[in-house]
Amino acid sequence: MSLFKRYILPRIIQWIVVIFVGTTVVFLVPRLSPMDPVQTTLSSMSSLGMANPEAIRQMEEVLMDLYGLRGTLLQQYLRFWSYLLKGDLGPSLVMFPAPVISVIGTAMPWTIGLMLVSTILAWLLGIALGTLTGYFADKTWAKILDAVIMCIYPIPNYIMALMLLFLFAYTFPLFPFSGAAGIGIKPGFNRVFIGSVLKHGFLPALSMILITTGWRFISQRALVTNVIGSDHVQYAELAALPRRKIMLNYVFRDTLLPQTTDLALSLGSIFGGALITEFVFSYPGLGQILYTAILQGDFNVIVGVSIFSIVGIATAALLIDLLYPLLDPRVRYH
Amino acid sequence: MTLLEAKDLKAYYITKSYGIERTVHAVDDISLDVNTDEILGIAGESGCGKSTLLRVMFGIIRPPLQLIHGTVAYRSGDRSLDLLSLTDDEYRQIRWKELSYIPQGSMSVLNPLRRVRKTFWDFIDTHRPNTTRREFEDLVTGHLSDLGLPAEVLDAFPHQLSGGMRQRVTIALATILKPRLIFADEPTTALDVIVQSGVIDLLRRIQAEARNSLVIVTHDMGIHANLADRIAIMYAGQIIEEAPAKQIFGNPQHPYTKYLIHSLPRIGDKSHRISSPGRPPSLMVPPKGCRFRDRCEQKRRICREERPLLVSIGENHKVACFLAVKEGAHAS
Repeated sequence: MSLFKRYILPRIIQWIVVIFVGTTVVFLVPRLSPMDPVQTTLSSMSSLGMANPEAIRQMEEVLMDLYGLRGTLLQQYLRFWSYLLKGDLGPSLVMFPAPVISVIGTAMPWTIGLMLVSTILAWLLGIALGTLTGYFADKTWAKILDAVIMCIYPIPNYIMALMLLFLFAYTFPLFPFSGAAGIGIKPGFNRVFIGSVLKHGFLPALSMILITTGWRFISQRALVTNVIGSDHVQYAELAALPRRKIMLNYVFRDTLLPQTTDLALSLGSIFGGALITEFVFSYPGLGQILYTAILQGDFNVIVGVSIFSIVGIATAALLIDLLYPLLDPRVRYH
Repeated sequence: MTLLEAKDLKAYYITKSYGIERTVHAVDDISLDVNTDEILGIAGESGCGKSTLLRVMFGIIRPPLQLIHGTVAYRSGDRSLDLLSLTDDEYRQIRWKELSYIPQGSMSVLNPLRRVRKTFWDFIDTHRPNTTRREFEDLVTGHLSDLGLPAEVLDAFPHQLSGGMRQRVTIALATILKPRLIFADEPTTALDVIVQSGVIDLLRRIQAEARNSLVIVTHDMGIHANLADRIAIMYAGQIIEEAPAKQIFGNPQHPYTKYLIHSLPRIGDKSHRISSPGRPPSLMVPPKGCRFRDRCEQKRRICREERPLLVSIGENHKVACFLAVKEGAHAS
């Protein structure tokens, strides 16, 4: 009980406050922007030939209602929360009348699948390689690996994505150009569908893994170099403990804490989507949806994606806080 | 009997930054013996190379430190090993079992993420593979209780122990396999005086019981007075005097040793203490001749031209000073 009160409860309260403040900001920003979604919709409708002024006025009323734009800002805000708590983010303004929740719902699995896999793979790969090259820095293979990764790492991700696309979809047509699964394949737990998903996801995932592994590698190598100089590692070497043991139990363990934090935060940010990668590969994920929404002023979708992103990161941070004491004995629950 | 014989050691720190090579002559032509069943103290001010000497004698030479010249012969049974030419594997065989090392008291040498028991296990498992869990428990708890440490420390994480307790645990860790020769590098630095005296007692007890040898480096002459059987005084990368502790404190010969001894406070003595003027020479460009001459009141011409060698002036008493050699010759 006291552990709950002293340690867990304050963090849960913090989590709620973060989400509340974040959501409020997300509510306000598009409403303060000069874009007027009602007028945008109306003008696109009138350009299709609807000219009756009375009809347009009625349409405007209906749209104001639907978009939740009626009343003062405060009234809108309260209504926004009452709907949000019911899980209703309103209709998408562009893909009207599809509700935002279902728009996000169809994109979410693709993004989560793509990013979860690439984030975790890149994390594992970067840490493994970074630890090895950091610890065995004087070996030739370490120097070569280091040089190779240093060359890949600074490539901007859109260039990397385009390069892979050009190489493996155009020059050597091994992988499809775009999409997340073959057209006309029925989603289901069967070999054809899963195979198609893997084939479509390979290049986008590879482009992200290559770049983020580089980053992870560099940070891990720096951490390892730092830990190697610390007294307890020096002493273990002086006592001639086996190098593998020193690397795993003395060096690697010490770097795990910051890297776990960072992994959790990266996982939390999955809900924001991988904008550039998804765009280049026309991958139907959250990033793609967010991009279209921003371009067309579909602020219900913007708000929806942002809220998912805020909840994701806040929850990740909460989980790390709760798990820390298990990872590092020096962190205590108080 | 000689246990370890260091001969003509030269070890320099060689660093290169922006193409400029710097050499620090930290250990510059030192020969020193360690006998069985003795405590040898190495004294000298900060930066005189005493810790470097200890590391070289222990056989750990890592860049930027480089061995330029010399051998360290260690007698193991009826063999003699040159510690500086062993391969890593050969050296691993004798480390901790025969030669061991106690680091500075201020160092956090215990793995912060491992319980003390696991650290002990790591060290023992490395040097005595095939130790069973039960043998391990018996060995460790027995050793800890010999040293007067509670067995509960094994379940603690290092950060849960006080500084003094951590240092005792480190000493226990370094002596667990009953090494014949222990090197201790400022084992009491950063500990308060009460804890220091406890640590010194502990070291003395370990040595007295095991009849092994202990080489202790510290700038604290009080500790040497308390602990050492024999003392070597270092100055600017060289040993300038070496004698039994009684001789060093009662009949110092080198002017630098005299300054050191006279700087010690005595209860009731209110006289002003004269400190040696000036500062030690740079070890990047050590001067020719006697390295202490600029601070010496009795320097002569020869002190500038020739380096005084460490010569015997009495039983077990060696000194590197032209004046002392003459005086010593007079006395005898």
